[in-house]
Amino acid sequence: MSTLHLHVQPRDGEPFRHEVRGEAAVLGRSSKADVVLADRYLSRQHARLVLREGSWFLEDLGSRNTTFLNERPVAQPMPVRPGDVIRLAESRIVVADPGGELPPQAVGDGLTGGTDERLPESTIFRPASELLAAPAAGESGGLASRLRLLNEVHRALAAPITLEALLDLILDRVFAQLQPEEGAVFLRNEKGELKRAALRRERGVTGEPLYSRRLAQEVTEKGVAALVLDARMDERFAKAESIVFSGVRSLLAAPLIDSEGCLGMIVLSAKSRLHPFQEDDLELLMALASAAAMRLRNIAHAEETARRRLLDRELDLAHDIQMAMLPKAFPHLGGIDVNAALRPARTVGGDLYDVMADGGRVWLLVGDVSGKGVGAALFMAVTKTLFRAIAPGSASVAEAVARMNRELARDNERAMFVTVFAARLDLATGELEYVNAGHNPTYRLEPGGRVTTLPGPVDPALGAVEAHEYRGSRLQLAPRDAVLLYTDGVVEARSAAEEEFQTPRLESYLGECAAASAEHIVQGLLERLDDFVGDAPQYDDVTIVALRFLGPS
Amino acid sequence: MEIGEERTTGALVIAPVGRVDSVSSGELERLVATRLDAGERWLVIDMAGVEYISSAGLRVLLVAAKRLKPPAGALVLCGLGPGVRTVLELAGFMSLFAVEPARAQALARIEAKASP
Repeated sequence: MSTLHLHVQPRDGEPFRHEVRGEAAVLGRSSKADVVLADRYLSRQHARLVLREGSWFLEDLGSRNTTFLNERPVAQPMPVRPGDVIRLAESRIVVADPGGELPPQAVGDGLTGGTDERLPESTIFRPASELLAAPAAGESGGLASRLRLLNEVHRALAAPITLEALLDLILDRVFAQLQPEEGAVFLRNEKGELKRAALRRERGVTGEPLYSRRLAQEVTEKGVAALVLDARMDERFAKAESIVFSGVRSLLAAPLIDSEGCLGMIVLSAKSRLHPFQEDDLELLMALASAAAMRLRNIAHAEETARRRLLDRELDLAHDIQMAMLPKAFPHLGGIDVNAALRPARTVGGDLYDVMADGGRVWLLVGDVSGKGVGAALFMAVTKTLFRAIAPGSASVAEAVARMNRELARDNERAMFVTVFAARLDLATGELEYVNAGHNPTYRLEPGGRVTTLPGPVDPALGAVEAHEYRGSRLQLAPRDAVLLYTDGVVEARSAAEEEFQTPRLESYLGECAAASAEHIVQGLLERLDDFVGDAPQYDDVTIVALRFLGPS
Repeated sequence: MEIGEERTTGALVIAPVGRVDSVSSGELERLVATRLDAGERWLVIDMAGVEYISSAGLRVLLVAAKRLKPPAGALVLCGLGPGVRTVLELAGFMSLFAVEPARAQALARIEAKASP
């Protein structure tokens, strides 16, 4: 076997076939791999197939999530044969037999026919609950073998197991006990649609394995097990009006059901089987399906937990990166005292601030991106980077903001936007020039205790419209005047009683800050918010920047 | 959140009811996208039933406005309560939308635009 035929099922992409020629092939996420798999959990170069003395071997290339051959971790090169299943992270590769028949490919969901299709007259339905409650009918030999099988299954299911291995195990036991010619497990996906998850066939069984959609609906939605005694005896099916049942002699189906609902179904069929399935078989399959359903549910829960843990780790990393983007130390410039704080509500958030020296002037920026989470955090990072690149040396604040807006609005199909208050203080004169792009008004604190908002127009938040003329305003600060920039997380902070902090509380606090240092203003406000919010969860990011102008330098 | 829909001869009216925040705005966004993908070009979003709109909700309105730029289409907002209007004003967005007091005026405005 010098050519290897692979059926590749990537986690995040469409399945495809690949022929490995030559002497080696690298499998991985990298575009430079020989077999490129769309699966974000894969290493760039994950595993390799190597031809040695006429046989193919699989080896792991030190991947992060290891490589599995038939669900066994590949620690050293392992020989690969047709029928083997290679698993890399959440992608599967089936090794096909080039000379023999190709393993059946799942076409769509593996179900066919309409939901209004009639089922053979000989179909018997039994409620799952009834089958599980009933003591085994029939002769004692049947009972003994049923108990033995269940015992085996329960023991096997107690150990940690992957979904693939579990489905394999279920089919193993079913084939050993009930000798079908074909068996399939269908599982509901996140959208609740049934999809074939596993298939096994006796040698020599050919054709596309398809099952009746109508039957699947009956079994999974009503929670009944079904036995089709002999479809060929039914006149309509004998005339092959339904390709689904044509040639099928006998069929058995049971729902994978537990107290939380139906996870899917297991279905067995026989075409040339000497004896059709019997009602005893139905009980056996139902008992097995019930044990499997419990374990399937556990696996689904465990996968969900693992996914969440991975996401949490990535969010932690994103949080660290985001916090690192915010200045912690402030420019030591004569003539000002400045301080700032940002508290994200979630691990990552969409608020931002910046303080930046530019010759004899200092820039201030506070912003709040629409929405929350990772998308907002990315937009925040772009905004912050643009500000650093564009603001220094700009002719005016309005011009800098207009340029930032053009960049943010370009190709912004999701219409993300960021409200900002941008300002530039001339340290020599105390003149403050500023633009409000859809943001909360900035406060001015005078030494006498007067608290006012900075006057001026409000222009659209950045990113919303491509071409907009932003309007700048100017205000002469007197020595010892302070300004406070903030985001709506401050005024919309909610107490346990669902009451909001609101501007009157903020203004009354600021009235007490006439002579306070910038750090005192920021920290004192955070303390006020903590006292107000108490044990209630934080809904929104909170950002505060305070600057006091000490006098012309 | 409930979302009402009314089809008139010249336009589609979408009327969300309740809070349009970061949790519920996804539902409104999907509905609007589905309708625009299906070829709707003359859209009224009636906000009379909306008690609160967050920045995530404003984003949905912006996406719709971007996709329905005149003359090949139009978005008209109507029924803005004081809370919703304040949020739009604070974000500096009032000038970006065609706004009418109520559904009848919004439909009339669409009709005037749609007919050559």
